[in-house]
Amino acid sequence: MGVFSKIFTWWNGSTVGTSWTLMRRGRKVGQDEFGNTYFEARDAKDSYDGRKRRYVTYTGYAEPSKIPPEWHAWMHYITDVPPSEQPLARQPWEADHQPNFTGSGRAYRPKGAIVHDTGAQKQQDHYQAWVP
Amino acid sequence: MPTAKVNGQEVEFENGMTVLQVAELAGEEIPRFCYHERLSIAGNCRMCLVEVKPGPPKPQASCALPAMDGQEITTNSPKVKKAREGVMEFLLINHPLDCPICDQGGECDLQDQAMAYGRDGSRFAENKRAVEDKEMGPIIKTEMTRCIQCTRCVRFITEVAGSPQIGATGRGEDLEITTYLESAVTSELSGNVIDLCPVGALTSKPYAFQARPWELKKHEGIDVMDAMGSWIRIDTRGPDVMRVLPRQNDEINEEWLSDKSRYAIDGLRTQRLDTPYVRQKGKLKPATWDEAFAAIESQLSGADAKTIGAIAGDLNEVEGLKAALDLFRSLGVQNTDCREAGAVYGAPGAPRESYLFTCGFEGLEQADAVLIIGSNPRLEAPVLNARLRKMWLKGSAEIGLVGPVMDLTYGYDHLGDEAGALEDLAKGKGAFAKVLKAAKRPALIIGTGALSRPDAAAILNAISEIAQKYKVVREGWSGWNLMHTAAGRVGALDLGFVPGKGGMDTAKMLAAAKAGKLSTLFVLGADEAVADADLGESFVVYVGHHGDAGASKANVILPAAAYTEKPGMYVNMEGRVQAMGRCVFPKGEAKDDWAIFRALSERLGKTLPYDSLADLRARLIADHPTFGRLGYAPEPQGFDLTALASKASKISTKPLTGAVDNFYFTNAIARASQTMATCAKLQSEAQPTNANAKVTA
Repeated sequence: MGVFSKIFTWWNGSTVGTSWTLMRRGRKVGQDEFGNTYFEARDAKDSYDGRKRRYVTYTGYAEPSKIPPEWHAWMHYITDVPPSEQPLARQPWEADHQPNFTGSGRAYRPKGAIVHDTGAQKQQDHYQAWVP
Repeated sequence: MPTAKVNGQEVEFENGMTVLQVAELAGEEIPRFCYHERLSIAGNCRMCLVEVKPGPPKPQASCALPAMDGQEITTNSPKVKKAREGVMEFLLINHPLDCPICDQGGECDLQDQAMAYGRDGSRFAENKRAVEDKEMGPIIKTEMTRCIQCTRCVRFITEVAGSPQIGATGRGEDLEITTYLESAVTSELSGNVIDLCPVGALTSKPYAFQARPWELKKHEGIDVMDAMGSWIRIDTRGPDVMRVLPRQNDEINEEWLSDKSRYAIDGLRTQRLDTPYVRQKGKLKPATWDEAFAAIESQLSGADAKTIGAIAGDLNEVEGLKAALDLFRSLGVQNTDCREAGAVYGAPGAPRESYLFTCGFEGLEQADAVLIIGSNPRLEAPVLNARLRKMWLKGSAEIGLVGPVMDLTYGYDHLGDEAGALEDLAKGKGAFAKVLKAAKRPALIIGTGALSRPDAAAILNAISEIAQKYKVVREGWSGWNLMHTAAGRVGALDLGFVPGKGGMDTAKMLAAAKAGKLSTLFVLGADEAVADADLGESFVVYVGHHGDAGASKANVILPAAAYTEKPGMYVNMEGRVQAMGRCVFPKGEAKDDWAIFRALSERLGKTLPYDSLADLRARLIADHPTFGRLGYAPEPQGFDLTALASKASKISTKPLTGAVDNFYFTNAIARASQTMATCAKLQSEAQPTNANAKVTA
């Protein structure tokens, strides 16, 4: 991420203002497997509700659904111990976390959606032909 | 006539009308769930509350209240509004909020009326009632928690369908709709309870979770599963026919439809012919249209027209047959027939009335004596059978039957299994002879099963004697009714798709094929005719839409369109000409029937003089003016019954069975349908319910 996009875009990583605030008032708590970095305020001076504010700076495009579930719990004050200190037990059936793909090319389309129907060849799906 | 005031507006009404009907006359819409025009009045949903003066101070259920002269009816007062909101709130207490996953969503009476007449929220915080789902067979899917106990289904099944298999147990909140014996509903009309259900308690099982009503394109159509020509609505999505619903037509199907007409449509997706085939070295191989036509051309070149034959099937529309007939006649082919083997009705030159249901379905209700000969109306035309049951319930007609004893859902005098009973009637013997003698409007319902057997000519002779003796055709009344089973047959007969001069009929053609005297046989979707026939060495050209009996015997297969896939005209057994449009496109390489024959005619050097469907129809109407009048049944007309008499008099002792053996397998589409197969399996396992068949002889 270059200096140019750091200054002129607000949707990549953190803005200059956020970085300044975090440097001044934040304490780095940890980093997840995607490189998103988590911060907590040193005190509750600018809090809305008496709790210390928690922050995330994203790697690349700022998209909240990139936060994996264990960090999501910490961000939302569900837990106070960050997963960097006490990692969540990973179950064998757990899949890797993925951001929400809605609106992108990788968005989920149910079977039978019109986008899957590509031309006459697919018409075969709608009926079963007789075979002598 | 008495008058009443509806919201201050004076309305005249007929004696015996209910307050709800009077309000409708005045153009006021009354919400209702349990009330239905064609069913008895239950008055248990309480949604139709209105204020009535003079009368008690509380709102009254208008559906069950007779209107009286000078009554003041108020349907829009705050009191009525509050009453409706109250009823709606009570109904919704025990109704689940599962509209997003409910198949009725978007066409639900409860949803609509909750929007129009309900409160915006619920004050009910307690637990909702839950009801166990009931098994009602392969057609009806149940979700009984959604039931609001309107009892429309119970009333339909007992009153109209006449097979009382659905009922209610328990009282109040514990009232549940159930099949008494936890068995499937086996009535041929059972699908109608799905339409009647105002909520999502009874929904269609084959259609479950397939589509939403707003995604569907609706097409008006004509049903071809029986010869009634019922009005249907065909709902399609993309290239698929998703469902078939009845349209209202009081003269034909009222607003009912048989299960076959509704649910055989999944057969339109299986066993389809989507490319031409040519048999090479004993095996059918996919081919192009050009190759298929070339094979027919080389077969027909130099062939004697006397050794070429054509048999038309049960589902053919008029246009395709017209093109085919014009082509065959121009080739000099006289061996053409549209009837089943051995049929004696509709012979060349016979009056049109002799093969029609002349008094019409609505006209039949005026009859005071009905004699059914060799037909099972319940299987051959279930919706017409419901009309006969209605007549029986009203007590307006005495019904007699010659044929095997069966459960017709109404009582009848059984006059005998065999044609001997006809001779007795012709001589005036027996109790029913007196009934016929006394009748002012006697009607005969003659099954085509009785008229297509080896001794059919003698049977027709006996029936015509009965008709003459009891003056079935008289001034202002004609009760000569042929019960057809094939949607395409009357149209084909009107067209003259019968043996030409010196031509062979179906039975003779099949016999000639077996004997090797027929070089080429065109089978236009006539799977039933050739199913059990040995066609010998004949070159068989099959034109049709399903891989059924005909296709497997063919040397060349030309894929055509099914009834939902082509614009076409059909003539029902009343003689009513009806037209429908194309709903979806033919599958794969398949083409409209008329276009196939037009293309083939060019190939054979006998180009037909029309290039478009409009030209063809213009030509058709010019040749046969009958087809120029759409949608009307012909006026009941008499004809010379002596024209049907013949010298044949030897009648065998075989019982006069109906033409339909298995209701669920009467045509290629139904035979390809999974749903129909399930229904047929269930029907064969079920115990025959004879509760209603009160045989009184």
